[in-house]
Amino acid sequence: MSMTLAARIRALPFGGASRHVAWFLRRAIGGAAVLWAVTTFTFVVQSLMPGDRALLIINMAAGNITNPSQAEIDAVNAKYGFADPIAVQYLNYLWRLLHGDFGVSYQLHRPVIEIVGAQILPTIVLAFSALLTAWFIAIVMTVVLAGRANPWARFASGLQIVMATMPPYWIGTILLVTFAVFLRIFPVEGKNSLIGLVLPTVALAIPLAGFIGLVIQQEFVRVLEQPFVTSSRARGMGDFGVRLRHVLRHAVLPGVTLSGWAVGSLFSGAVLVESVFARQGIGGILVGATSARDVPLVTGIVVISAGIYVLANVLVDRAYLIIDPRIKLA
Amino acid sequence: MSSFFIGWLGKGTSNLPKGAAPRLLIAGAMSMSLGHAVLAAEAEPASGGIIQYGHEQEPPCLAGPWIQQWYLQRQFSDNLVSRTDDGGIAPWLATSWTVSDDRKTYIFQIKPGVKFTDGTPLNAQAIVDNFNLWLSDDPEKLNNAATEYVKRSFQSAQAIGNLTVRIDLKKPYEPLLDVLSQSTFGIQSPTALARGRQANCEQPVGSGAFIVVKWNHGQDVILKRNPDYNSAPANAKHQGPAYVDGLVWKFLREPPVRYGSLVTGESDVIYDVPGVDWADANKRFQVIRHITGGTPLRLQLNTAFPPFDDVRVRKAFAYASDRRKAVEVSYLGAVPYEGNGALSQSSPEYLSALADAYPYDPDQANRLLDEAGWTARDSDGIRLKNGRKLTVRIVYGAGFLVTSDGIQALQIVQEQAREAGFNVLLVPTTQAEFWAGKNRGPHDYEVQPSYWTATSAEVFQIVWRPDSGNVVNAMNASRFQDATLWSLIEEADQTFDEAKRIKLYQEAQRIVVDSAAVVGFVPLTVTLAVNPRLKDVWLSSAVGAPVFHDAYFAK
Repeated sequence: MSMTLAARIRALPFGGASRHVAWFLRRAIGGAAVLWAVTTFTFVVQSLMPGDRALLIINMAAGNITNPSQAEIDAVNAKYGFADPIAVQYLNYLWRLLHGDFGVSYQLHRPVIEIVGAQILPTIVLAFSALLTAWFIAIVMTVVLAGRANPWARFASGLQIVMATMPPYWIGTILLVTFAVFLRIFPVEGKNSLIGLVLPTVALAIPLAGFIGLVIQQEFVRVLEQPFVTSSRARGMGDFGVRLRHVLRHAVLPGVTLSGWAVGSLFSGAVLVESVFARQGIGGILVGATSARDVPLVTGIVVISAGIYVLANVLVDRAYLIIDPRIKLA
Repeated sequence: MSSFFIGWLGKGTSNLPKGAAPRLLIAGAMSMSLGHAVLAAEAEPASGGIIQYGHEQEPPCLAGPWIQQWYLQRQFSDNLVSRTDDGGIAPWLATSWTVSDDRKTYIFQIKPGVKFTDGTPLNAQAIVDNFNLWLSDDPEKLNNAATEYVKRSFQSAQAIGNLTVRIDLKKPYEPLLDVLSQSTFGIQSPTALARGRQANCEQPVGSGAFIVVKWNHGQDVILKRNPDYNSAPANAKHQGPAYVDGLVWKFLREPPVRYGSLVTGESDVIYDVPGVDWADANKRFQVIRHITGGTPLRLQLNTAFPPFDDVRVRKAFAYASDRRKAVEVSYLGAVPYEGNGALSQSSPEYLSALADAYPYDPDQANRLLDEAGWTARDSDGIRLKNGRKLTVRIVYGAGFLVTSDGIQALQIVQEQAREAGFNVLLVPTTQAEFWAGKNRGPHDYEVQPSYWTATSAEVFQIVWRPDSGNVVNAMNASRFQDATLWSLIEEADQTFDEAKRIKLYQEAQRIVVDSAAVVGFVPLTVTLAVNPRLKDVWLSSAVGAPVFHDAYFAK
């Protein structure tokens, strides 16, 4: 079915721009499918968790265990449509979502879109500054040390494995205690200042730098042995120049692929790091919403994050074309 | 209406009936406020500065029935009356009040010249509007704390003059003033309340010392000084506006961040000193600890079903572990042990004779279990009766009802009870699961640790109320529905004579503890660590809300 659809889109008469348009259409359909799957999964998981949702909402509002009457429980069930079959609830939710209505948070009593809108910017800033920092660390380590037969190079590749396995939450706590509490170079509370961004960024970037480093290093070493590298050297180009201008360009592609995935991982990592550094962001909201089983808010955050993830992957695909012009739009 | 008058300024204690004095505190607080006046003449506290306060949990609304909301409400709203540390009641928005002979009618005189920070004047109707909202039938509006405490006795609230409010009760309810002193009963502007739930969640309006400016979700609440503040409670350290310009109420959930921000000076005061930093904090900062009233965090034993339907098995469980030691090594001194599981030690009705109930006595535990017929043991040493294991599931709210220190103490209890032959299983339950009723069904647990913060023994009517009809009292996880106990509590709640009422509450405690319906564990504490530069921060009675109205920075 999807093949047929893809083929039909490819066959659309868009003239010279047709390939680009078809490409975007296919991407849009793929992205919509991902969003639908994410929405469905989150909705179902949230809805099927054990316990009574009306009771939860009443207790949540009370901040305590309460003894609601059946009438009070019925009122909550009616208000949120919990009495409807789950399929009806799901279709209603999907219908509203299609109209851009993410619903109202059960516990914050505000529209989900407003809550997420107010919180998502610091998370995006953190995620992308971590992505850039991770790339910077990975490129420096790779260009300087990859494929060399010295103890530093061996140490670096061992270090990348260690970095890749370190949980951001743990790194964050260590960085916080060391650089903020003891050395007092950075503030303890990240807030939204630029200096407050440094430690959370590093905490998130370190494991990702390890991953990206490991992937591009492997490719880097392979490219180093290619004939065009030898010929560049033969033309008298210096070692560093060869590494930076010729080899790196070929080696980064798997890292770019990884970056699409990394955006998702950075978002989930940001959830933990934001709480370590008491930063504003969707992380803190998501933790609260999950523990409160605030279905509209959790689903809203997950769907919006998934949207960013889809978008990032589209951008990554376009980035291939820029980095390696041999790749053509399929 | 013949009545007694609780005079405050200019009235002597001679107006008071005998027996009322300890509750009404007059003399004590008078001298306290005079003492402060002398001090103030010597050195007027410096004005200015903004207090950076590192709090822990962020509530979903800035006002409401949850304790996290009470703390905030204490900053921006005022109550009708205030409770003093010794359990007395002092004037606040009500300058005086009378109570009818039948104890069913309260008439409050409201302080003139007070305005809410949105400009709405405070009058009797504003108080009535607040009462009607708290006790509304609309789940969107009601205040659950009000429902639990007041609704069963409340009849009506009326404005009988511009500044005179009359509250009628269906039956006497002596804890009424105690209850009204709690911050969740802070009076809010009726104009602001009419804006609806979302606006009141975000930016509630009271007549308090601070004004909510902005809530940066996930980060902090910005409050500024109310420059026209003229309604501090009589037991405040000073009258008039706060000394500081503002207050930043930050949500620092992670203990290392919270304590770290105090150490680096990013916060002037923090809430809940982590156990691991307790000793250090006591060396470097001023540490204020307040033991809250109501019930302590205690182990509620499910008396409705085996094995704990047998009082001998309940007592054996209580004797089987050294809970005092477990608390000492787990909390590292930050929280004391509480052996009286019925009532917190800061409540005036507390029976200290029960503080050592059920000390560690494995021999006694074994003897009781043998007597109860749990004589056989399986290969793991777990006791058996009719082929059934002596299993005890402790269902606990992980991280919110029981903290990591508490969980460690429960693990010690688990190990020690195993020696006596109990198969103890620890069942962590998340807050959402717990509130949604998971693991709380009648057959889902043998032990449920929990607490209810309150001013004092008025909490008994909440936690020991028997089920009525189909409605199961979820607050009574012990399922202990002793008729004598309930009639004692009802009688106490309606008894005016102070000494007699205390005696009744104490009899109730004895029944609860002697029947091992609950087993003592730890009291709930509120701790603040304060930078020594910041003076005169205090914790309100009895739930320990931080009070910043009197605080100032030393020059």
